[in-house]
Amino acid sequence: MFGLFTMHTPIRRCLQALTRQSQPTLSLFKDPLSLRLLSSAALLNHNISSPLLPIFTNSKPTSAFGQWHHGRYFSSSKQDDHIKEGGTHEIEDEDDDSDGDDDDDDDDYDEEEGDYEDEDDDTVAVSSRKKVYTEEEKEAEAEAIGYKVVGPLQKNDNVFKPYEPAFAVVQIGSHQFKVSNGDSIFTERLKFCEVNDKLILNKVLLLGSPSQTIVGRPIVPDGAVHAVVEEHALDAKVIIFKKKRRKNYRRTKGHRQELTKLRITNIEGVEKPLNELVEKPSKSAKKEREKVAVSA
Amino acid sequence: MALRGVWQLKKLVVSFSDWGGSSRGIRAFMESHLPAFKEANPQLEVDTEMIRGQHPHLKAFYKNHNDRVVCVKNMDPEEILLHATRLRNALGRKVIKLRTRHVTKHPSVQGTWTTALKY
Repeated sequence: MFGLFTMHTPIRRCLQALTRQSQPTLSLFKDPLSLRLLSSAALLNHNISSPLLPIFTNSKPTSAFGQWHHGRYFSSSKQDDHIKEGGTHEIEDEDDDSDGDDDDDDDDYDEEEGDYEDEDDDTVAVSSRKKVYTEEEKEAEAEAIGYKVVGPLQKNDNVFKPYEPAFAVVQIGSHQFKVSNGDSIFTERLKFCEVNDKLILNKVLLLGSPSQTIVGRPIVPDGAVHAVVEEHALDAKVIIFKKKRRKNYRRTKGHRQELTKLRITNIEGVEKPLNELVEKPSKSAKKEREKVAVSA
Repeated sequence: MALRGVWQLKKLVVSFSDWGGSSRGIRAFMESHLPAFKEANPQLEVDTEMIRGQHPHLKAFYKNHNDRVVCVKNMDPEEILLHATRLRNALGRKVIKLRTRHVTKHPSVQGTWTTALKY
């Protein structure tokens, strides 16, 4: 059964059938020596009662694991062309997880192993194939790319102030907006925030007010723009229609972009003039006088 | 979906049929995900309605008197949860193409530029 250790698929499948309970990963098969060692080690370790026990002598399981610990394995996805990290217990977990997908092709095997490795030591349901950001640090990094920091959720704060004459040029992702108090902005969907979350937009390129202008190089370090997430919604459907005339080629595809609406609540880092309070009573007094005059 | 901190979705009506096969997903949704969804959104009125002879759907009633109906026939409970969450996350706006991505009432702070302006 273990006659020839080659890269051919049938032998791999035979071995897989044997070591059903704990699957050695496919990278083993690159190295025939390690294959022998690992298969023997795996079989011995996990006490599989198979009629065809390996003929090999007892080898140290650590060396077997160690040997293919540093192996590279090749798959179609670029993620997986990197050296394996992690200890043996991780590999065993991966083996257990990959049991359910025996029917897939070898490429699918490799891709799933790549997915395993990309995540941390926390156990992840890989079958869903979604990246689970288990660590908060990851979320913080991803937010930094989009230049936003999530603050706490709304409680009984009075965040929605009346209009203040100050503006800021803020960058979110690759889009820049000139923003003032009380504006709404539609951006691409921001992943790590729910509706009614407070955000702080870090990347402020310019701050301005009637009395002062601060130009960042490229960012103003003390500038901060506070915003609240109003909604996560889908845009209207756009139909992408492709046609090549006289070539019998016509394709129709519908697309709805996911958007997030932010409401800007506060701009920090600029001098804001306090003239409004002085002006308002005088204006209202004038209006009252006019009304009295009209009625009289 | 919260305009200045006020949730915009008032009521969500989960309509299903207890006989039809297209309602299988929504029946599973009502057992598995709906209680958690209700607890996560205490401000929301969630009703279940049995309608026989029709496909299941989710009806959303917003504060601006708009309704949205999403047909959930033959969907998995996870997909139905996704649609319900989307309805909760949205304002009751009409779904049309956006005119601008930046909506403001005070476009100018330092004064609108004109050709006559001299610094």
